[in-house]
Amino acid sequence: MSDQDTRVEETQIPSPRAESASANATDSGLKWLSSRARSFTLSEGNLFLLLAIIIGMFSGMAVVCFRIAIEWVRLGLLGSALAPPPIRVLLVPAGAGLVVALLVQKFFPGARGSGVNQTKAAVYVFDGYVPFRTVIGKFLTCSLAIGSGQSLGPEDPSLQMGAGIASALGRHLKLSRDKLRLLAPVGAAAGLAAAFNAPISAVLFVIEEVIGTWSASALGAIVLAAVSSAVVMRSFLGGEPMFRVPAYTLAHPAELLAYAVLGVVSGILSLAFTKIIAYFRPKLRALPEWTHYLQPAAAGLLIGLIGLRFPQSMGTGYPYIDQALHSQFTWQILAILGFAKILTTSLSFVSGTPGGMFAPVLFIGAMIGGAVGGLEHHFFPQVSASVAPFALVGMGTFFAGFLRVPITSVFMVVETSGSYSIVLPVMISNTIAYLIARTYQDVALFDLLAKQDNLELPSMEEQREQIVLRVEDAMRKPDLPPLQASDTLARALEIAETSTEEVLLVRFPTGRWAGISIKDLPAMDSTHPKETQLREVLSTARLPILHPDQRLGDALRFIPGHALLPVVSRAGSRKLEGVLSLADILTAYQRTS
Amino acid sequence: MTSEPQNIVSRYVQRRALLLSLLLLALLSAITAALARTYHAREEDLVSEWSQKGNADLAAGKPTLAFEDFRNALSYGPDNPDVQLRLAEALLADGRYTEARSYLVNLWDRGPSSGEVNLDLAHVSMQTGELDQAIRYFRGAIFGSWGKEPVLLRRKIRLELCEFLLSHGRTDEAEGEISGLAADTPADNGALREENGLLFLRVGEPGKALAEFEAALQINPRQSQWLADAGRVAFEDGDYLKAETYFSKSDLENPSAEIHASLVLVRDVLGNDPYLAGLSDEEQTRRTWRDFGQGLEDLRKCASSTAGPPSGQLPSDLQQLNKEAQEMQRRVNLKSLGGSPELRNEAMQFVSRIEDAASRTCGPSASLDRALTIIEKRHERNNP
Repeated sequence: MSDQDTRVEETQIPSPRAESASANATDSGLKWLSSRARSFTLSEGNLFLLLAIIIGMFSGMAVVCFRIAIEWVRLGLLGSALAPPPIRVLLVPAGAGLVVALLVQKFFPGARGSGVNQTKAAVYVFDGYVPFRTVIGKFLTCSLAIGSGQSLGPEDPSLQMGAGIASALGRHLKLSRDKLRLLAPVGAAAGLAAAFNAPISAVLFVIEEVIGTWSASALGAIVLAAVSSAVVMRSFLGGEPMFRVPAYTLAHPAELLAYAVLGVVSGILSLAFTKIIAYFRPKLRALPEWTHYLQPAAAGLLIGLIGLRFPQSMGTGYPYIDQALHSQFTWQILAILGFAKILTTSLSFVSGTPGGMFAPVLFIGAMIGGAVGGLEHHFFPQVSASVAPFALVGMGTFFAGFLRVPITSVFMVVETSGSYSIVLPVMISNTIAYLIARTYQDVALFDLLAKQDNLELPSMEEQREQIVLRVEDAMRKPDLPPLQASDTLARALEIAETSTEEVLLVRFPTGRWAGISIKDLPAMDSTHPKETQLREVLSTARLPILHPDQRLGDALRFIPGHALLPVVSRAGSRKLEGVLSLADILTAYQRTS
Repeated sequence: MTSEPQNIVSRYVQRRALLLSLLLLALLSAITAALARTYHAREEDLVSEWSQKGNADLAAGKPTLAFEDFRNALSYGPDNPDVQLRLAEALLADGRYTEARSYLVNLWDRGPSSGEVNLDLAHVSMQTGELDQAIRYFRGAIFGSWGKEPVLLRRKIRLELCEFLLSHGRTDEAEGEISGLAADTPADNGALREENGLLFLRVGEPGKALAEFEAALQINPRQSQWLADAGRVAFEDGDYLKAETYFSKSDLENPSAEIHASLVLVRDVLGNDPYLAGLSDEEQTRRTWRDFGQGLEDLRKCASSTAGPPSGQLPSDLQQLNKEAQEMQRRVNLKSLGGSPELRNEAMQFVSRIEDAASRTCGPSASLDRALTIIEKRHERNNP
């Protein structure tokens, strides 16, 4: 598009609204615009898919810049060694904490927290609106916090940044409210896919945690955005899996028992971690406002103190996960590092420092997994071959227990490691950890945090586990067999005398169903001979039919205008399974509530 | 419900925004690419800096520091196989075999034909006592790929494998490796041929050893050490004529007391051995008679040097031999020896017993006495 064209557009766009413009000028302008617009017409659906790809690309690049920014900050503030000089370890997280707190309190209040709940809030509360200022704030504050050694990760912020970019683009394109609401999860998936280099896990996480259902309208766009963002990220930062995992083979069938033990340990520890955050976060938030400026710095100082002895517990910890996967720590050290990370991450998170939980959770999981594996290998060397697969499984298990996303956790382990043989141990261990966490902590972490923030966001876990009422739960047996189309009006009158229903159901040989209101029968009797077959009286009448497995909510749509509906078998619509009325539906709902 | 003109404007605005987004995407793409390039360059610098430091620390015998350096390097180049290998070697040098193995196995999965990785894994397996695995990795290293000087490196590893096999008593496998080594040895490298010969000797294959020494001598026939080695092997193999030839040439090229003593010994054997092939019956008898006389003389000398005051008593074995000597002297003479090969054998066995007892009781024997012992021992070995 040339500059001239642009200028023309700028002058012509407001012209239809200008009341003073002449009718001729308006007509010619509209014709011109109309011809230009028609020349590259996209349906809203296609536009949405194209937008998903663009969002994916924007998010991918934003995440690349974000990761590079974190690394530059780390190199600048802590140096290039994995174990930085003690003075820096002590002072940098605290100093950066002060700056981060100032930025969050004064300029970017929306950047606080991990980003997952903020994205959910955007979907369910703010019609998909995420201020672009929050994206900038998240980028700056998280780069500084994570790069300075605060024990947080870049994944959840990336998710929120993706949602923010999507929201900004959607607003810019003046999309409808519905589409805007759908765009936030699309961007979230894109951001997470790029941060994790794992598009499948990102899609699953967004479905499992943000939107809660396999919505067909959003799924295509979410997948497109996640894939395009992962492709962009890989083209800039390389396509290697996040973790390089030694080859895994099951040494002995009893090894699966060892993974079950890991599931128990991870489940208990993830529960403890959740409880710590759930207890301390509101306490610190309730402190006077001025302390909020100091809390990240104080947390940074404590993290620095821990970091003097265990520098591994600072920052994202990814290099150390790699070391754990290569059996570079004894089980005792792994256990200590796991606990140290729980401590430092709790400090960072409850102090309100912006940053994500994914990376620390993976770190803790890897260390705990490695420790359990090492301990088991120590006592039963014939059962487990190596510590590395335990560290890998531990990551997924702790993730499943802490974030309560069991499906995502399985795929995440497979995707980030590129190892498919690990699936069986991961599934065993994850299920146990998830069940323990679910049993002893009713509300999942993100739902809990939302409640603490006075947000009534829908709990995806609760939604998944809600009892779904079906037609079979409400239907009842008919008091009398249905009439046949070949029956006469006289037969119908005879049946009506004994029936307790308001309507008599009539079955046609073709499987069609019709109904005769008992109130209308006398009138029919007066206008038709008694021998008239019902098919003649009901030649055009047709009742909607239901099946026992249909959701009761869906059945409600068919009830208006019908006193009674037939519930028929899917094996043949002539076979009546039961009948359903509005009263039956209401009774079923009352029963379950 | 929106009117048609509003719809058109809205659609137009949408498309313009879309085009602007694409332009912005292109701009952001350029910025990201520049940032990523700068970052990757910095990463490469850091990998290089830390690797150099690690190499220096490893060379200075500080494997713990080297390990930290390589670990730092690896955090900026996690897929750099060179750094991974160096890290594993630092761990190996630090005695952290399990950790080293983990990295090496990972590297092996990615490149099972790498000679270096196989060799390091062999070293880890040696240290952890997994013999079969060590042998497997050694063989992987021998047949693996090597960047520089592959032939020399493969030979070096094969030698190491041979040593490893010999130290664990797996002589047959060692012999197989030495044969492989000999087959791969360039024909014009005498030093390596000589080395092969020495290895064959260690697995009890003097014939093959001699062939290697002779191959070496074809390249340099005046190399005194090789001549001496060939002489020793020929002597051990019972080929005294060859041994005499090689010892005399070696003595000529580089005279030494040791070689001269060997030469005298082999000449004593050649001059006194009644069992040498091709000797006439008469010569065999004559040599046996002379050896018998020498044996009696040695017995007498040893007995007189031992039976001093105060007790005047001989050790029991010498007393017994004295008794038997008297009996033998009655039976053994040139005539009786000439008519009976059995008596010749009996006489030589008796001489051998005298020489054994004399060397035990009276100390190291003279060259001729040792020759007599060797003659009989060899005869017994060849005619069990």
